[in-house]
Amino acid sequence: MKKYTNRIKGEIDSIKVTSYIVMTFFAIICLFPFYYIFIVSISDPQFVREGQILLWPRGFSMQAFKVTFQHARFYSSFRVSVFRTIVGTSLGIAISSSLAYAVSRRSLRGRKFFMVFIVFTMLFNGGIIPTYLVVRYTGLIDTVWALIIPNMVNTFNVIVLVNFFRSIPDEIEESAKIDGANDMVIFYKLMIPVAMPAIATITLFISVYHWNSLMDGVLYINTPNKKPLQVYLNDIVAAGQTEDLFGDASARWMPTLSLKSATIFASTLPILVVYPFLQKYFVKGIMVGSVKG
Amino acid sequence: MISVVNKNTAAKRNSYLRQLIKDIIKNRWLYVLLAPGIIWFIIYRYLPMFGLYIAFSDFSIVKGITGSEFVGFKYFKYIFFEHRNFWQLVENTLAINILKLVFYFPTPIIFALMLNEILNIKYKRTLQTLIYLPHFVSWVVFGSIVITFLNPSDGIINQLIKAFGGQPIFFMSEPKYFRWIVVASDIWKEAGWGTIIYLAAITSIDPQLYEAAKIDSANKLQLIRYITIPCISETIVVMLLLDIGRIMNVGFEQIYVLANPTVYSTGDVISTYVYRVGIGNGRFSLTTAIGLFQSVIGFSLLMTCNAISKKWFDRGLW
Repeated sequence: MKKYTNRIKGEIDSIKVTSYIVMTFFAIICLFPFYYIFIVSISDPQFVREGQILLWPRGFSMQAFKVTFQHARFYSSFRVSVFRTIVGTSLGIAISSSLAYAVSRRSLRGRKFFMVFIVFTMLFNGGIIPTYLVVRYTGLIDTVWALIIPNMVNTFNVIVLVNFFRSIPDEIEESAKIDGANDMVIFYKLMIPVAMPAIATITLFISVYHWNSLMDGVLYINTPNKKPLQVYLNDIVAAGQTEDLFGDASARWMPTLSLKSATIFASTLPILVVYPFLQKYFVKGIMVGSVKG
Repeated sequence: MISVVNKNTAAKRNSYLRQLIKDIIKNRWLYVLLAPGIIWFIIYRYLPMFGLYIAFSDFSIVKGITGSEFVGFKYFKYIFFEHRNFWQLVENTLAINILKLVFYFPTPIIFALMLNEILNIKYKRTLQTLIYLPHFVSWVVFGSIVITFLNPSDGIINQLIKAFGGQPIFFMSEPKYFRWIVVASDIWKEAGWGTIIYLAAITSIDPQLYEAAKIDSANKLQLIRYITIPCISETIVVMLLLDIGRIMNVGFEQIYVLANPTVYSTGDVISTYVYRVGIGNGRFSLTTAIGLFQSVIGFSLLMTCNAISKKWFDRGLW
């Protein structure tokens, strides 16, 4: 008997130990790129050029950031991204939540039809070119609105919100109706506060989408100084068009790796700053999403 | 007699209309809330579906949709039988997705099972925070990091290879590596986030099941094999069906960031080709036809998977 318990204990340990090792290793791998980009961007460019940066920063220099921030296109694209994120998120959450609330109400005629109408767009879409033509014919091409309006509403987010509004007990609405409140007042004064956890989660998701989105900038924007940050970053880092950066005399001796790292780090910083807040909400949001209506 | 029936239906229609108007007036604020969203869906989601008509016509920006000549299935015949790259694009799309199904798909499940073994709550939370992080960073940033790491001259991977006396490898310009880089970077970026759904499924398992099995002196591996995995199998199959339903779609952004012309032979997929040739070269009808082919296959696959899910689990995928 004693031998048997020992065997169980041994097995428990081996699975546990493997789990600890593998997950710790994977977590380090997930963090490492951000750490590496950071240490390269603050290290002395001399050491970076010689390929001496591996695990620890060497020397200290803000030169790479200085060159990055001096670049005019970095500023214009940063501004575009901030604008589209703020405006796109506000419009997106306002329209998604009011649509979701309306569709979730039993008093809305044809709510089943509207639900199918919304869900169908997840299964079938017109594709890249027809959508491009609609954006073109609605006059948005090469304006910042092409980054905001065509993907303003996300079908999945709407469905999550509909499910959340449906889960709110009817009594709240009924008692307010008896007091003479109309649907608009009920929505703003009662439902939004109750649905705040879901709305906050979706707001964060939409803002991360806007900050990170590359495709719409690639498709709809032609003028260089109207391009969002992700497109600029792709031009500089992935496609390697660093000539612009090296136009500045003081940057000519700078290794590309330092400049790329500084640019990547500066454009990821906003995400890293809001990440703790995201972290707090997103698990809740996923739970909300798994409630089926 | 006929006139009576007509009168009846007319009266019915009239009363229906009157009711509808009454209803709309009564619930007018609901319709005000509904309208902007529905109008947006009509313009930016349904209008493009009608725009698919240009796959059947010789469309050009100058002539417009109404001025373009109807040509039936001309472009479909062309892409199926004459087009030089079309089947290569389909192959690349399928190959990348099949590799993802084989290598990416099981990873979050294994990670979720492993995280479940970590009993120290604080440590587990720290790990979760770290492995979810890449999901919130854009493909441009993440892809740029991948490209920077694999750079033959100053990338960290090649620095290591050189340190051990090897020759630097040109990872990003070798077609044979490309699909593997796509799958590996996808695991790196998304596998951590992918655990959430399975962790949620694991948390909802009744602890009594484990207690009962322990009384029968089941060991750890048996607990996982006979309790945890069967309890989350429905989630696993649903996720698998969703992935199979999307097998014709590869995320545009990942490929767009990672690919370059030297690896198009293995890495160019439908969406990146449609963008480059459709918008870049203005071949709208041809690329719309390719896009429509993709949408129709995707739609049929999703409907099939949904039907399977309904049959097996009594619930649809959405």
